[in-house]
Amino acid sequence: MTLRALLLVATALFSVGIYGLLTRRQAVALLLSIEVMANAANLVFVAFARYGGAPGHPLVLFALAVTVAEVAVGLALVLLLYRRHGDTLLELASEAKG
Amino acid sequence: MSPSVTLALVTLAAPLGAALISVVIPPLRHRGVPAALLTLVGSVLATGAAATLVLQDVAGQAVRATVPWLVVQGRGLGEVGVRLDAVSVPMLAVVCLVALAVQVYSVAYMHGETPRSYGRYFAYHALFLFSMNALVLAPDLLQAFAGWELVGLVSYLLIGFHFDRPSAARAAVKAFWMTKLADMGFLFALLLLFARTGAFSWDVALRPEVAEATAALVFLAVMGKSAQFPLHVWLPDAMEGPTPVSALLHAATMVAAGVYLVVRADPLFAQAPWVQGGMLWIGTITAVFAALLGLVQTDIKRVLAYSTCSQLGFMVAALGAGSAFAGFFHLGTHAFFKALLFLGAGSVIHAVHSNYLSDMGGLGRKMPVTAVTFAAGALSLSGIPPFAGFASKDAILTAVEGWAGWVPWALLLATAFLTAFYMGRVLVLTFLGKPSAAAAHAHESPAVMTGPLVVLAIPTVAGGFLGPWLARGLGTELHLHLGRTPVLASVAALGGLALSVALYGRGREAPLAATLAALDRASLVDRVWAFGYRGVLLPLSGVLRWVDRYLVDGLMNGLGWGTLEAGAAVRPLQTGRVRDYALAVVLGALALLVLGAWR
Repeated sequence: MTLRALLLVATALFSVGIYGLLTRRQAVALLLSIEVMANAANLVFVAFARYGGAPGHPLVLFALAVTVAEVAVGLALVLLLYRRHGDTLLELASEAKG
Repeated sequence: MSPSVTLALVTLAAPLGAALISVVIPPLRHRGVPAALLTLVGSVLATGAAATLVLQDVAGQAVRATVPWLVVQGRGLGEVGVRLDAVSVPMLAVVCLVALAVQVYSVAYMHGETPRSYGRYFAYHALFLFSMNALVLAPDLLQAFAGWELVGLVSYLLIGFHFDRPSAARAAVKAFWMTKLADMGFLFALLLLFARTGAFSWDVALRPEVAEATAALVFLAVMGKSAQFPLHVWLPDAMEGPTPVSALLHAATMVAAGVYLVVRADPLFAQAPWVQGGMLWIGTITAVFAALLGLVQTDIKRVLAYSTCSQLGFMVAALGAGSAFAGFFHLGTHAFFKALLFLGAGSVIHAVHSNYLSDMGGLGRKMPVTAVTFAAGALSLSGIPPFAGFASKDAILTAVEGWAGWVPWALLLATAFLTAFYMGRVLVLTFLGKPSAAAAHAHESPAVMTGPLVVLAIPTVAGGFLGPWLARGLGTELHLHLGRTPVLASVAALGGLALSVALYGRGREAPLAATLAALDRASLVDRVWAFGYRGVLLPLSGVLRWVDRYLVDGLMNGLGWGTLEAGAAVRPLQTGRVRDYALAVVLGALALLVLGAWR
């Protein structure tokens, strides 16, 4: 395993996340996509900590905690969306329309 | 505070107090008589104080007592207070005395009014006396301006006293318009003076062109207030006011304020020879023009109004010839005899219930006191020696002798002839001949009305002998001499009087009377002003209104409209769909990435 290979995996993960973010209609899938992207970033941190000499571990732990909080808020939003509309389709949440 | 200053303050405080009490306690005003009593008490106090000042001969030692006004950064922009000297003290006495006489007279003359109107009338009178005294005693031009505008306001209120009569309301507005138009000159003169000297003082040395400009602007205001051609048109219409008002404001005191102002600001005008030249001509033209129109008036008050105009022209001409004394002297004597004439006319109107000369006639025997005192006033106005009017008119004619190629002198001499002629006409048509239907049952007015007539008749007859005293105060001397001018003036006056008595006594008309009457009916000057109002001012206001509505407001409204439209245009950007926002974020991140890689 080299740094290059790790970065390629991270890039692939990130791209998958973006693809999911832009194509999925379900709010839960959206959250999953965001998780994937966040973990791609974490992977980059860890990769540089292992091979590049940068002290990335603490940041990864910190990012994990933030991601958990983010998921908690996101799931609460999804739950509200479901209560309100009986479904979790993203199109239903359009109250912010100008 | 010296005693003379205290007395001067009494002449201000007493009428102001009467006016304020009448205003803030409505029952006094609405009951009528209490307000009249208050005003009379105020006027008696003021007159007493003014008379004491004259007798003390304060004129000899000039006194100034002022407090700074409009203090900015520790410095007063102007002053309020009193200034007592040889000009203000005699003027103060004249104003107070005439005002008191007119107010006493009004007690009987106005008794037919409702109590409310009666009270209002006297409250106005008290306010007038205060304003006029404030103007007379003004230590600088700023206070003079305040007093000037206040008397203008009271004039408006009193001309429009019968405001339910459309003609009176119109006359009041006309007077206000014309005098305010002229007063713009005063305002600009004040600004100019302040810009140049940082003060509003009467006597300052200015650069010649500034002095000319300031004097010209002040003179514009004088033309309005003192009814000089072509701004005289409001004065004949002002006769819509009650007759005592005409006597006090529009003959004796207020209209003479313009002349007083020039006398007061003599140091300024002395630096402006061009303006003085203009004054000489405008005064002369006014004197001749108004006298000609006075010949053919059928309303006794309008005859007197035009004669006032004409006499003011005399005064202004004298001022233009550089003789402040002659103008001021005539101002003083004119105040007495013209007040007397108006009050006499009021007495006649009161008896026959008409203003028209055709409704009078043969009243001499029925109203002896009125007739004799009126005749004294008429002779004084005509300039028959040794009446007061002769002395002062002679002073003016002597002053203009030799100026501008003798033309003003000759014209004023001719005007003296015309004056005697039209006064002879009024005397004959009112008091001699056969009584008309309206005059058949006339009887003498009550003593409250004839009393002031008799009192005013005294200075009317003998006031001329005060000339030397007045002249000494103003630093000149009055020589009583038997030269060309006094002889010619006497001949002109006696000739005019004799000729008109001969003509009208036989029931004839004067030559050219029909032409003049037609000219009067055409009222050309009035038409010019009416055109200026309807043809120039109103359209200009229309244009300005259009600019305001469609350009100024349009700009603001357009700004608001544009904001709304721009908002509506960018609103679709906010789709409300989370995915669109996410896409925007991703695209933004990509853009940053590309930008970073590229650099």
